[in-house]
Amino acid sequence: MKRVVTILLMTVLLLSAHVAAQAPATQLKAEVTWWSFPNFLTVDGIPGKHEQSIIKAFNAKYPNIKVNIEMIDFASGPEKIVTAIQGGTAPDVLFDAPGRIIDYGKNGVLANLNDMFTAEFIKDVNNKNVIDACKVGSNFYMYPISTAPFLMAFNKDMLQKHGLLHMLPTEGDRTWTTSQYTALLKALKAKNERGAIVFCISQGGDQGTRAFMANLFNSSITDAAVTKYTINDSNGVKGLQYVVDAIKDGLLLNGSASDGTGAIDEFCAQRVSHTILFSPGLQAVKQHMTNFEPIMAPYPSENGTPALEYLIDGFCVLNNGDANRIKAAKLLIDFICNDPVWGPKNVVATNTFPVRSSFGNLYKGDGTMTFLAGLTKYYAPYYNTINGFAAMRTAWFPALQAAFSGEKTAKKALDDFVKAANESIKR
Amino acid sequence: MDPGYRGALKPTGGSSAWHKRRPLELRETLVSYAFLLPALAFFGVFVVYPILVGVFTSFFDYTMRKFDFVGLDNYIRLFGDKIFLKSMKNTILLVAGAVPMVVIFSVFISSTIYQKSPLVRSLFRGVFYLPVVTGTVSVTVVWKWIFDPFSGVLNWVLQSAGLTDQPIMWLGDRRYALWAILAVLFTTSIGQPVVLYTAALGNLDKSQIEAAEIDGASDWQVFRYVKWPGMMPTTLYVAVITTINSFQCFSLIQLLTSGGPNYNTSTVMYLLYERAFKLMQFGYANAMGVVLAVVIGIISILQFRVFGSNVEY
Repeated sequence: MKRVVTILLMTVLLLSAHVAAQAPATQLKAEVTWWSFPNFLTVDGIPGKHEQSIIKAFNAKYPNIKVNIEMIDFASGPEKIVTAIQGGTAPDVLFDAPGRIIDYGKNGVLANLNDMFTAEFIKDVNNKNVIDACKVGSNFYMYPISTAPFLMAFNKDMLQKHGLLHMLPTEGDRTWTTSQYTALLKALKAKNERGAIVFCISQGGDQGTRAFMANLFNSSITDAAVTKYTINDSNGVKGLQYVVDAIKDGLLLNGSASDGTGAIDEFCAQRVSHTILFSPGLQAVKQHMTNFEPIMAPYPSENGTPALEYLIDGFCVLNNGDANRIKAAKLLIDFICNDPVWGPKNVVATNTFPVRSSFGNLYKGDGTMTFLAGLTKYYAPYYNTINGFAAMRTAWFPALQAAFSGEKTAKKALDDFVKAANESIKR
Repeated sequence: MDPGYRGALKPTGGSSAWHKRRPLELRETLVSYAFLLPALAFFGVFVVYPILVGVFTSFFDYTMRKFDFVGLDNYIRLFGDKIFLKSMKNTILLVAGAVPMVVIFSVFISSTIYQKSPLVRSLFRGVFYLPVVTGTVSVTVVWKWIFDPFSGVLNWVLQSAGLTDQPIMWLGDRRYALWAILAVLFTTSIGQPVVLYTAALGNLDKSQIEAAEIDGASDWQVFRYVKWPGMMPTTLYVAVITTINSFQCFSLIQLLTSGGPNYNTSTVMYLLYERAFKLMQFGYANAMGVVLAVVIGIISILQFRVFGSNVEY
C-alpha cells in the first residue's frame, strides 16, 4: 500500500513538473532588472520614457514578469556595471554594444544566447560581421538590434554661408580624398572658422579619432583578420603626423582637454565647423541643441575609399544564477528586438538601421538615412571584440596627447601604442 | 580608563562593599560597550574588513575570471610600472604643493579675519567654506568650464586683457595641467582650515598676547612666539588631513583630465580606479592601494613627529 501511495505521489509530482514546464511563456513569473544606456531617443526629453513604454507593452503580453528599468550613462555606467558584477548586484538585462558585452562574455559573467540565434535570425541578419561581433568562440552573448556607421559631420549652413558647400561631396556615397579635405580645412580657416576638435582627454568616443586617422592615408587599426594592431605602419604615422601638423597650422583643434561629448557639443553650438565623430543616432540625440543642418560624410582617405567603423546596438543577459530570470530576460530581449510592432519601432527609436533585413527600409523618403544605409559596403573589420579591447583604449588617448604635445613623435607615439595594444591581446 | 575613577571604585570600607560595587561596574562597562557596538560594527564591516580584503587580494592575480595567488608579483610589477611611478610622482607633487599652500593661506586669512566683527568673520568663513559644501563634482564642473580652451572664461579674460594671444590649453598641456589641478585642489581644501584656524585664534589666551605686546614684541614676534605655538594642534590636524586628502585626490582628476595629458596629471588613486574599474585588474589595483596607504601612514607619522613635538593639549 505504501509503495502504491509513493508511486502515485511521484507520478503526481512529475506530472505537475511537466505541466509547469509546458506552461506558456506568457505565464512565466519573474522579476528582472534592465539597465540601459541612453541608446533610445528620449520621449518628451525624458530619458527612460521610451523604455517604460516598451515595458508596458511587454507586460501586456507577459503580465507576470516585472521589469525594473534603470538608466545609466556612458560616463559612469561602465564602472557601475563592473562594480555591480563584482558585488553580485548585476542587472539581468543590459542594452549596450559589443565592446563591453563581449568582454563580459569572455569573463564568464553572461548567460549565452545560443538559443536565440536561430537559423531564421541568422539568415535574416545576413551579415557575417554583425553575427561574429556577437559571439565568443561558439557562444553568442549579444543579441543585436540595430547598427549604424560612425562618420564625420559638417555645419551645412556654415559652409553655405561661406560658399564652401561645393567643396564637400554631397552626392552618392559622399566619399572624398584627404586632399579635398585639406582644401576645405584651409578654406574654412581663411573664413576664420575653426576646424574639428581632435578630442583625446579620455577614451569616450575614441573610435572616431582612430577611424579618422586610419582613413587619412588608408592605414588600418588592425590587420584584416583582427589578430594584431597595425596603425603604426607608415600610412598610420602619416595620418597622425597630418593631424599634428594641422593642429599646429590652426586647421584642426588640439583636443587634449576635450572629450568626445564636449567636442560634439562644440559642433552643435556652432563654435567649430565640423566634428570627426557623428552618427544618425547622435544627430537625433543632439537635435534639440542644434540650430542648423548637419551634413554627414565618410572620413576622407588618400584613395577616396573609406573604411568605416560602425556601431552595433544589442542586449546581453547577465547570469545571476537563476534560470527563471534568465528565461524572462530572454523573453524581454526577444520582445524588444523581434516583436512585429515594437521591433521596428525600437530600431527607429535608436535612429539607426535594423540588423534584420526583413524589417526593410524604416526611413522611406529620408534622403540622409538612405545615403547612410548605402555605406555598409565600406564597413571595416570589426575589432571591438578583440581580446584586451578595454586595455587598448586606455593606451590610445595618451598616445594622441603625447603626439599633440610634442612629448613623442607621431611614430614613437603609435609604436608605443601598438606595443601596449598588442600586449593587451595576449594578456 | 581614568585612574582616579578606578581608584574611586576600590574597596574603602571592607571587601563586602567592594563586592557590592563590582556588578555595578560590570554593568556600566557592558552598557558602555553596547553603546559603542553599532559604531564598532560599522567600522569593522565598512573599514577594517575592506582593508583586510584589499591587503589579502593584493597578493592575487584577481580579475573577473581569475583569482590566482601570485605572492609579491603585483608589488614587484608596481615598481617597474612607469605609469605608476609617474602617478606617484604627480601625487607627491600635489601633496607637496597643496599642504604648505593650504596651511599658509588659511593662517593668513584667519589671522586677517578673526578680530573682525562677527558678521564679517562669518561672511569670509562662508565664502571659503562654500566650495566644501557645494560638492566636489559641482565645483569641478564649474572649473572645467573656466579652464575650457575654446569657450572658457579664463582664456577669455587673459586674451581680452592682451596677456595671451592664443588660448591656453590649461588641462591639455603638460606644462599647465598639474598646476591647474593644484589650483582646484587648493580651493576645495581651504574651507575647513580657515574655519579651524579662525576658531583656534579666537581661543588663544589673550593675556599672553597682551603681555608680549606690552613687552614690546613686534606683530611678527607675537605671531611667531605666541600665536603660532598656540595653533600647533590645529596645524597638526590641518596638515595631516590635507595630506591624506591630497594623496587621495581622485574626483578632480577623473572629471578634469582623466589623468592626461599622457598621464601627466594621473595620481595613484586615479590609476587605481583605472586599473580596477576599466581594466578589471583588481589585485594589481589593491596593491597600489596598499602602497598608497603605507606612504600616507609614513608621512602622517613624520608629521606627528615634526608638528606633534610642539603640541600641548
